[in-house]
Amino acid sequence: MMTMSVASLAERVARIPKFVLFGAAALVQLALLVLMIVDRAQILRDGTEVTLQTRPVDPRDFLRGDYVVLGYDITQLPAGSLQNQPSGERNPLVYVKLAPNRDGVYQALSVHAAPVDVASPEVLIRGRITYGASCGSNRDTFCEKLTVRYNLESYFVPEGEGRKLEDIRNQGKLSVVAAVLPSGRAAIKRLLIDGKPVYEEPLF
Amino acid sequence: MMFDRAYRQRLEADLARWEADGVITPAVVAAIRIALPPLAPGINIAVVVAIVGGLLIAAAFLAFVAAHWIEIARLSRLAMLFAGILSAHGLGAWFARAGQPVLADLCAAVGAIIFGAAIALVGQMYHLGGDFAGGMLLWAIGALATAALTGSRGALAVALAAASIWSSMRVYETDVAHFAFAIPWLFAAGLALAWNSRVAAHLVALAVIPWWIASSFQGHLDFRPSFVLANGAALLFGGGLALAASPWPRAARAGSVLSTYGAFSLAGVAILEATMANEVFRIHAGDANRPLWTISCGVAGVILAFAATATTRRAGTAFAAGAIGLVLAAAVVLWTPRQLSEPWLAYAALLCAMLCLVVSGMLDAARPRIVAGWLGIAGVIAAITWAVKGSLLNRSIFLAVAGSFAVVLALMLNRFVPRSRE
Repeated sequence: MMTMSVASLAERVARIPKFVLFGAAALVQLALLVLMIVDRAQILRDGTEVTLQTRPVDPRDFLRGDYVVLGYDITQLPAGSLQNQPSGERNPLVYVKLAPNRDGVYQALSVHAAPVDVASPEVLIRGRITYGASCGSNRDTFCEKLTVRYNLESYFVPEGEGRKLEDIRNQGKLSVVAAVLPSGRAAIKRLLIDGKPVYEEPLF
Repeated sequence: MMFDRAYRQRLEADLARWEADGVITPAVVAAIRIALPPLAPGINIAVVVAIVGGLLIAAAFLAFVAAHWIEIARLSRLAMLFAGILSAHGLGAWFARAGQPVLADLCAAVGAIIFGAAIALVGQMYHLGGDFAGGMLLWAIGALATAALTGSRGALAVALAAASIWSSMRVYETDVAHFAFAIPWLFAAGLALAWNSRVAAHLVALAVIPWWIASSFQGHLDFRPSFVLANGAALLFGGGLALAASPWPRAARAGSVLSTYGAFSLAGVAILEATMANEVFRIHAGDANRPLWTISCGVAGVILAFAATATTRRAGTAFAAGAIGLVLAAAVVLWTPRQLSEPWLAYAALLCAMLCLVVSGMLDAARPRIVAGWLGIAGVIAAITWAVKGSLLNRSIFLAVAGSFAVVLALMLNRFVPRSRE
């Protein structure tokens, strides 16, 4: 029964004009690309704006091609109550509760393995642990310190401007405004130097 | 297609010789030629050059888009990527209509490659550098859809490669086996059956191997990948044999391809097991950690192989099932933690398994299985002989005993088994 249906399905597909099939294949691919872009645009449009202070990163990792690697004050965090808890995997997702300080720059309050309720102006941002989830005798508990990626670590800049931005970042003058959805997903919205916008990301 | 051409050449030579020897009449020769179906258009040198040209143009296009990204506005760059995808598929449709299936297949594959690069470039343009594995999954989905719609084997290869990278990265991230890979793999297997394509069956069989290798290198398995791989090879070989015994010709053909990969995997695992039993690796043997799913796969492989034997009632398949069982038995012996003495029993089981593989290939007339078995025998003997310290004398005694046993067995077989006519 199944064998017949597979064969007859193949025959039916063979009867459809080639232009339709190849066109449909191209449309599927274009739709997936559009989905990527629209998804990010939605974060930029609907997300809460959060200003984050960047910090220097390992100089050997600075510039690959034309993008600046951005590290943040919230990249390295103490695990707090998560320490010694089972991590489940090597690079688990975590949720970091952020709150603005007096200068309006957001800082980490606590790290959680699952989403927690936050009250405005607090924001919950989702990240993935790159280091710090393989401690303990079985290498499956959270360590004392965690390194977290938020999908905000790469920023592509016009050729030649990367070095300039690195210098500014290393002087502690570069900050980033990220848009964060209630689900915790984030995207870079604009770059600030000394608090003034220098790069604004268009939606599309 | 390629083999069909070789067969025709050999047939033509035979027909000419038989006609010259007077074995068949010219009328019969003519009748045979008429009875043969026309050869499908194959890959000639012009097509090969066109394939290389197509791939180079696709690469140049992508490098151009990537290099000029400051001068060209973001939306224009995006439009160029979209145009690249549309052109590749448009050209593919044109070739398909013009009766050039190989070039149509190539265009769909180039379209799938451009799509993958477009994901990377969109990721760059929109600063989506985070989830590389997620990008690979997206690529696999797009390429798989292209393969399903256009029947392109090239796009299927791209899809399986992307899915393998996605799965391997997820294994690295989570440190556990990534079963979600089964979804794109089963879809690809369905396409191979629907197309009744040997090339697609090869691709599907090949895609299993990186998944098992990635699954065997999980940190908590204490550097002992051979146990996991033995069970994987057992399932691939057993599953292939069972499929090959199926009454449905499409499944039987795909099954024979799977079983070939299974036989080579089994031989590879046997060599790996014999090598890993060496003193050098024995210090790593920690507490036994055998995931249940792995053992279930091995057991399923043995059951499927014996089910295939029961269906086909062929001695060759029974020997293949025996080879699977022996490699698994050796894996269990070798996995025993903190084993101090040399695992002679496991070595003997591995040698017997490879001998069974050769015999199975001879009885089933499956030449790849014979080659796999011989490679396995050579590899296992080399691994046993390779000793870093101390036990060479014991090894030489073991090899001499095993060799004498084989010679006695050969003499007995020579006496009791009727010899086939040369």
